[in-house]
This record gives sequence, structure tokens and C-alpha cells, in this order.
Amino acid sequence: MNEPGGEAGDGRIEAGARTQERRDAGRQLEQMLSITDAALGYLSLEEMLAELLERIRDGLQADTAAILLLDEDRGVLVARAARGLEEEVRQGVQVPLARGFAGRVAAGRRPIVIEDLSRADVVNPILRQRGIRSMLGVPVHVEGRVIGVMHVGTLERRLFDEEDTALLQLAADRAAIAIDRARATEQRSVTEIMQRALLPDELPALPGAHFSAKYLPGGSGVKMGGDWYDVFQLPSGRLGLVIGDVVGRGVLAASVMAEIRASLRAYLMEGHPLPAVMQLLNELLVSMGRHRSATVAMLEIDFESGTVEGVSAGHLPPLIVSPDGEATFLEPAQGLPLGIRRGGDYRTRRYRIEVGSTVLLYTDGLVERRGEPIDEGLDRLRAAARRAARNEDATFADRVYRELVEDGGALEDDVALLAVESLPLGPEIEMTLNAEPGVLAGLRRILGRWLIGEGLAEEQVFSITLAASEAAANAIEHAYGAQESSFRVSGVHDGDEVRVTISDEGHWRATRPYGRGRGLAIMRALVDDAQIERRNDGTSVTLVKRICSEPA
Amino acid sequence: MERREGVPVVRPREDIDAANATSLREQLSGYVDVGVDQLVLDLTGTRYIDSAGLDMLFRLAELLRQRRAALALVITPDSNLARLGEIVGLPNAMAVYASVEDALSTRVQRSLDG
Repeated sequence: MNEPGGEAGDGRIEAGARTQERRDAGRQLEQMLSITDAALGYLSLEEMLAELLERIRDGLQADTAAILLLDEDRGVLVARAARGLEEEVRQGVQVPLARGFAGRVAAGRRPIVIEDLSRADVVNPILRQRGIRSMLGVPVHVEGRVIGVMHVGTLERRLFDEEDTALLQLAADRAAIAIDRARATEQRSVTEIMQRALLPDELPALPGAHFSAKYLPGGSGVKMGGDWYDVFQLPSGRLGLVIGDVVGRGVLAASVMAEIRASLRAYLMEGHPLPAVMQLLNELLVSMGRHRSATVAMLEIDFESGTVEGVSAGHLPPLIVSPDGEATFLEPAQGLPLGIRRGGDYRTRRYRIEVGSTVLLYTDGLVERRGEPIDEGLDRLRAAARRAARNEDATFADRVYRELVEDGGALEDDVALLAVESLPLGPEIEMTLNAEPGVLAGLRRILGRWLIGEGLAEEQVFSITLAASEAAANAIEHAYGAQESSFRVSGVHDGDEVRVTISDEGHWRATRPYGRGRGLAIMRALVDDAQIERRNDGTSVTLVKRICSEPA
Repeated sequence: MERREGVPVVRPREDIDAANATSLREQLSGYVDVGVDQLVLDLTGTRYIDSAGLDMLFRLAELLRQRRAALALVITPDSNLARLGEIVGLPNAMAVYASVEDALSTRVQRSLDG
């Protein structure tokens, strides 16, 4: 094996004729290459590469031509297209980086010539089986990064020279542009689909809380993917807010994100406390052994008691903006990013959240600018959040984003933002909930917060809340089997009485008694009046509790 | 779950309602194996129990009786939950104590008597 021109070859006798032929071939090749850009519009990458290899093989008067692309995550070169060596592609030949012929071309980032294959270190058995004697390989690179290897081979012994090398490199460079573009489009569309599928379709609409979120894919091509946010109701009825960022970009990052997101939801829904969830996720990511790490911040918000509990695995601190526009970072005890090593120590911290406050979770793309310390980005975010708090013309997430972009210019990375504002509840509330038992705990918390805010005694709060929860459980039971059905809860506090109505649209069998015996008895015992109205299109239950303002 | 003097003591973190009653019953009945004659369910940290949760408690008490064990509830006296228990007749079907210690000491007393 030699560097091109590193060894004097034989075959100089025919040099003149060969040179002329090669010049023609070279011109043809250049011509062909010049049309590749235009051809890209309608040729698939496969077709384009096949066409390119065909021309190179002819142009260099070789017997075989092939291109292998680097799979960066696994550190192997994978045969992508070939001429005269089609089985290499069919068999999905993989060459480890730095090993074998192609592996060394890629690792060394420079051309390699093999004059006699029988004496060289070759990983791919197909090359020998095919009877290839001499080879020339060049790296395929984009912006200084090796993305693959292109090689040609001959059955007869031949020493490829500098001119051959230059020509093959020219072809490889053109192929690189096409591959990079095609990959970016490919990755982008797959990543985009995954990303969209993995972000919540809609944010919860609940009394006393207003959610807003924003996701923006990073500046160019394959840089997107890996950022996500999630909101859901925990078994306790509190709200779980999650934001995370998987290191890396593209489809792989998005798939790791999908795994973390699903596991995180599962752990939280099983009722594990926040630090345990982080530990479980960390174990999971380490055990997956994919050398992927992620930063995650989780908050558990209880609007009823006005508390936020937070845990962080290397994520940037959530920001809380108070009603008077003061913006402060919540600094949860910082744990290691997930996936680095086993046994990370994750602890929660608790904060107060006043009515009128907003909590903002975000990913680093929002604050990081190239060549700037992170503190400057955080300061900028704090200022932007302060300004956004004074403005009301769009959602909070939109406002913060707008303030920052107007301030800082184009974003290079993905950006995800998730905000929740704690709103005051008035004497009337109204909500629509999914007809599934998981919503009951959340319903009780909202009613509890509302009734405490209305100044009711603890005993009254308990009675009304539990009676309403019973009626809601019945509404859910009526909807059993129906897909995506919902029920409505409305409440009014009017002077000396509280009235709560729960309406469902469930199909109702007249022969069936309303609710379980015990449920109805509880309702009737806890409130002063429980009216059940059955209609053809559903059932409404109205609960009335009289409030004595004088102590009994 | 913790075991005190060999007795499983469970303190649910959340309300007991239609969403979790079944899984909680399965979990709790799993703690009552051979040699366990009492299960203490500490409800002092529980705010709400709905009718599905109450049904579960009645069924669990019955199941334990069949296994010659007793279900002991711990409910703060004069609390909302105590009031709810009276409404549905919980104390008629199972033992209700003011504290975990009370529940455990009654058991000791009983075994001394026996």
C-alpha cells in the first residue's frame, strides 16, 4: 500500500495513449459532475450515486466502483452504492473505522492506493472473492468531516497515480455535496415527523392555569431533534411539567428522546416521586449503553397549595416571573445529566408560586449564543421574561421568544419553551375533562383551590369536592367504552350557596340505577341537594351546598 | 410499605378513588401472606376517599377476614375522613384507630388475651 505516486509504477510505455484517454474520460466526468446539481432535483440519492459510480468506473477504466458511508454512531462504514461490486451493497458490508482498506482511508482522511490486494489488510472478503487486484480509495468529506469513502478497483494489477486520485477525489467531492443535502432532507423530514409526534398535541385547558409552549427546529438541516416538553396530570392530581434536551441531533437524538419521554411518563404515572423518577431514567439511559446523555428538568406544580417542587438533571434552571414582573431562576439541586454514570444523586427543592406568577421551562437553544458565556444568555432571558410579563398580546411562550429573538438574532439550535401561568379563580369556574378516572384527583384539587379561595370552611370544601368527585366518577362510568368522550363541570358561588353541575353525554340505560348505591348516598349526605336530571343525550347532576356565613 | 412488629403498615401517598382503588387493593392484599394477622392502613395522610375507594376497603376487610387477618384503619379523629367513615359505616366493618401505635398495641393486647 502506498500514497499515490509514492512508488514508481510500471506501465509507462502506454502512458501517452492512457493520458489522452484519461483526459477525455476526465472531461466527461467533469461534465457529468457539472450536471449533478441539476440532476439532484429529480434523481434520488441512490440513482445519483449509481450514475456517478458508473461514470467514474468508465472514466478511470476501472472494473469496480463503490461508495461507503460512515455511520457515526456505530463507527462503521456501510456500503451504500456500487458498480461491479453490487453484492457489497446487497450484503450490507460494514467496515470498522481505521480497519481494512476503506476504514483506513476514512480514519486517515486521505487517499490510499493498493497496488496488490493479495498482500494488503482488507476487511471486506468480497473484494478478494471478486478477484480485485489493485485499488484506489479517497475520503468523501463535507466541511472537513469525513462522511464516507469512495473507491475504485481493477482486476488487473495497476498502480493508480496522482491524476487518477485527483479525478476520483473530484467525483467524491461532488458526491459529498449531494449526499449531505439528501441526508439533511431525509433526516430533517424523519426528525420533523418524530418531533411533531412526540410533542403534546394540545396543552391542558384547566381553570386557574394557562399553558403555552413553543418548539422551533434548529437553524439548518440535521441540527434539529432531541428537545421536548411534556405536560400531564400526575396521579396526585398535581401537574407534571417536563422539559429535556438529548445531546446530539437528528433522528437518533429524537429516538432517544422518545424513549426517555415515554419512560418518564410511565414512572411518574406509577406514582414515583421526582428524585426516584430521575434515578430510574438515569439507570435506563446508562443501561441502554448508547452513550447518549440528556438534560431534564421536571416540576410538580400544586396550584392549590401554591407550591412547585423541582428536580434537575443538568438542565438550565426554570424561571419564575412574579406578578410584579420580577424574574428569578429556580435553582433546583443540580444533578448530573442523565446517562453519564450510574447512581446520580437527584434531590428536589420546593418553591412558592403565587397567583399571577408564571413558570418557564426552556432548552439551551433559547439562551446560548456562540462564543458567549451562558450567564449573559440567562441575563438576557430574565430581562426578556420581565418585558414579556408586562405584555399581553400573545401567549407567554411566544412573548418571551419574540423578545429574545428581537434581542439576540437567529437561533442555531433547537428551542423548546413551556410556560404555565397561575391565574386567579373567580366565583364561577368551568371545565371540560376527559372521561377517564385519572382526571378525578385533578378535579378535586381545582375545586379545592376554588372553594378555599372563595373563603369556605375546610369541612364545606371537603363535602362539595367529594360530592362533585362522585358525580364525576359516575359521568366517567357512563362514558365507558366511548372513545374520547368528555364531561363538563361548572361551579358557581353565589352568596350563600355553592352550586356545582356535572354533565355528561353518555348513553344511558334507563334500567340501570344512577351510580353505585354508596356513591349516591355519599353525595346526598354531603350536600344539601343533589338533583339528577336524565336526558336522552346524557345526565346532569346538580349539587347544592348552602353556606352559612355565621359560625354554626 | 413498612413492617412494624411484623405487621405491614401502609400509608398511601394519594387519595383513594376510582383511578387507583383496584391496584391499591391488589397491592394491599399481596402483603397479607401466611403469618400476617393484621394489615394497618394509615389514612392520616389521605384527603379523599371516594365510593370506589370505600367499596375497596369493605372488600379488602372481607378478604382479610377470610384469611384470618384484620384490616385496621388509622383515621384522624374528627377529621373529614372520620365523618365520611361514619356516613358509610366503616367502623362497623373494620377496626378504626386514632394512630398506628393504637392499632399495633391493640393487636399485642389481643394476642396476650389469646
